[in-house]
Amino acid sequence: MLEAFPRGQLSEIVGPRSAGGSSLVTSLLAHATAAGELVALVDGSDAFDPAGAAAAGAALRSLFWVRAGRRLDHACRAAELLARSGGFAWVVLDLTVDPTPLAVRQTAALHAATWIRLQRAVRDTPTRLVVHASRHLAGSAAALVLNVTRGAARWMGAPRPTRLAGIGSRVEVARARASSPGGAWEIAWRL
Amino acid sequence: MAPVRRIGCLLVPRFAAAAAVRAEPALAGRALAILDEARPGRLVIEANAEARALGVLPGMTEAAAQARPGALVCRERVPPQEAAAQQALLEVALVHSPRVEEAGAGEVYLDAAGLGTLFGDEPALARRLAARARVADLHARIGIAGSRVAARLAARRAEECVCVPPGADAAHLRGAPVALLDLSIEMARRLARWGIRTLGELADLPGHDLYERLGPEGARLQAIARGEDPRPLDPWRPPPRFEEARELDWALDNLEPLFGLFAECAERLAARLEAQALSADRFEWSCRLTARFGESPRIVEGAFVPPVPTREPRAVMAVLRATLSAEPPPAPITALTLRAHPVRVAASQEPLDGEGRPSPRTLAETVARVIALVGPGNLGVPVLLDSHRPDALRLEPLSAGGSGPAHAERAGNAFILALRRCRPPRPAQVRLIGGRPVHLRADGLAGPIVAAAGPWRSSGDWWLDRRWVFDEWDVELADGTLGRLAHDGSAWLLEGIYD
Repeated sequence: MLEAFPRGQLSEIVGPRSAGGSSLVTSLLAHATAAGELVALVDGSDAFDPAGAAAAGAALRSLFWVRAGRRLDHACRAAELLARSGGFAWVVLDLTVDPTPLAVRQTAALHAATWIRLQRAVRDTPTRLVVHASRHLAGSAAALVLNVTRGAARWMGAPRPTRLAGIGSRVEVARARASSPGGAWEIAWRL
Repeated sequence: MAPVRRIGCLLVPRFAAAAAVRAEPALAGRALAILDEARPGRLVIEANAEARALGVLPGMTEAAAQARPGALVCRERVPPQEAAAQQALLEVALVHSPRVEEAGAGEVYLDAAGLGTLFGDEPALARRLAARARVADLHARIGIAGSRVAARLAARRAEECVCVPPGADAAHLRGAPVALLDLSIEMARRLARWGIRTLGELADLPGHDLYERLGPEGARLQAIARGEDPRPLDPWRPPPRFEEARELDWALDNLEPLFGLFAECAERLAARLEAQALSADRFEWSCRLTARFGESPRIVEGAFVPPVPTREPRAVMAVLRATLSAEPPPAPITALTLRAHPVRVAASQEPLDGEGRPSPRTLAETVARVIALVGPGNLGVPVLLDSHRPDALRLEPLSAGGSGPAHAERAGNAFILALRRCRPPRPAQVRLIGGRPVHLRADGLAGPIVAAAGPWRSSGDWWLDRRWVFDEWDVELADGTLGRLAHDGSAWLLEGIYD
């Protein structure tokens, strides 16, 4: 799936809460860093769990984590700077926020030009820029949009659950500039 | 054939005044008198050209100088400012030549032989030295000759640059006073008794007779007067840290002007580091506070390590702003210092496939701009701590020089369910039935719980005061949201959302 993310382009991972979008991003980080690539993660909501990423196989020493302090505008600007530098194989911008009034206002305040700027920042660089959000934000600036939909949660123990075993996700290509959309993957995430 | 010796002299006249103007650029163009360090009846020890035009001369008392007509500014001599200016002058020379000698306040010699292929002919080298000195906020006069004395004389006589052609030192020195030789009082008196007032007159004395009367010192002085300078340069080595300081005549009790002064210091440090292609991996700052009556002044200080070696003033100021805003100095400030520990960032080989790490320079500049956005301490490489406490980690600087495949800390499962952490854990209201959670309400999240598993107890540090105990539950809300709750013995917390 990593090959689906085009270099020098903006891609988007979109999914509601608990659909598996963050797990997909963590998996992406794990694959890229384990391959020796340098990854920058701009964390708009300060929610990244390094312990979980390490458990997924991420080489944390190749991960540059920027905690934007819940300032989404600063997160976008930081991602733009990192993408423009061209030195990171991946720049992941996490804009997934909980639906608190402040977060909703901040998301709404992101200007449409933000995505054009991000797309231009990464153009002509070897960097893959990935935006992770609860809803589609980047509009036509995104060369690839992956929709993550929630599957059923799996619990262990019956009749009363004793342990969360994982969830299922369906990842669909909603938009792909380089190829035709429609591809899909079923992924079972394990706790 | 022995190589021709060429010595360059960088001379900053009225150095104490120049150092004061460098530290306080607003003084440029104003009549300035430098006073000796505080004591009753302070004397003027230096006056710049504008002050001399008003009739202010060294040796006057401060009161007499202030009584002259015209707007005179008096500043006390500040040794740290002069030391910083002196080092900046030495660094200007060191950028151009590997052999540099410190000869005194505002006076530096460099070996100018063989620099033609790098910087062009000697006039071009002299102009370049003067220009680099101006970048360091110093107006230096440049002289190039075959000996130190001739170079110093050339610099003293220069408006900006004078080059004495090879072999012409003796003729150049002929009319100069013997005082140029820094004679001892006894030697000066003896030469005066003989009627020797110029270097030309000293050079013309019979060498044998001079040796008989004055000994080896007389022969040495005559050789210098003839433009011969066999002594090699005494090399100067840059100190292990760079420092810029500012002494204030008034006490600062407001942070914004303090930031402005620190920014000036950071910019001067950046220029000095850049001149030697260096960055800094550690910065130290200190502020001297106003002394209470009967007490000696107190110093507050701190240090920080940038995420990558940098010389970017914005990055330094971002950290300083955050640090001092969080904990302002407890009293007005009368002096400040900023130090940088220099490191040379090695160039790294770019891999053929173009997927390498960013160049250290690019990374430093980018990180500096990101720091300015998100603040220091909010970026870096996460390192897990050896603890079972949830979210136990620290951030370390990113190494720009590393290359090659990185290996995961341990073999992992790429399809692991990620937890989005709430930092700090979010207070939650949880309703229980039969000891099991059935309803959750937290900021941005509320609803009935349809499935729950737990409690899973984790604890640690029970041998310390900061011991912790959590009973954790995994819960699923009716809308499909999966979360992790924790009860710390007194309250419910939302630790994170599975996603």
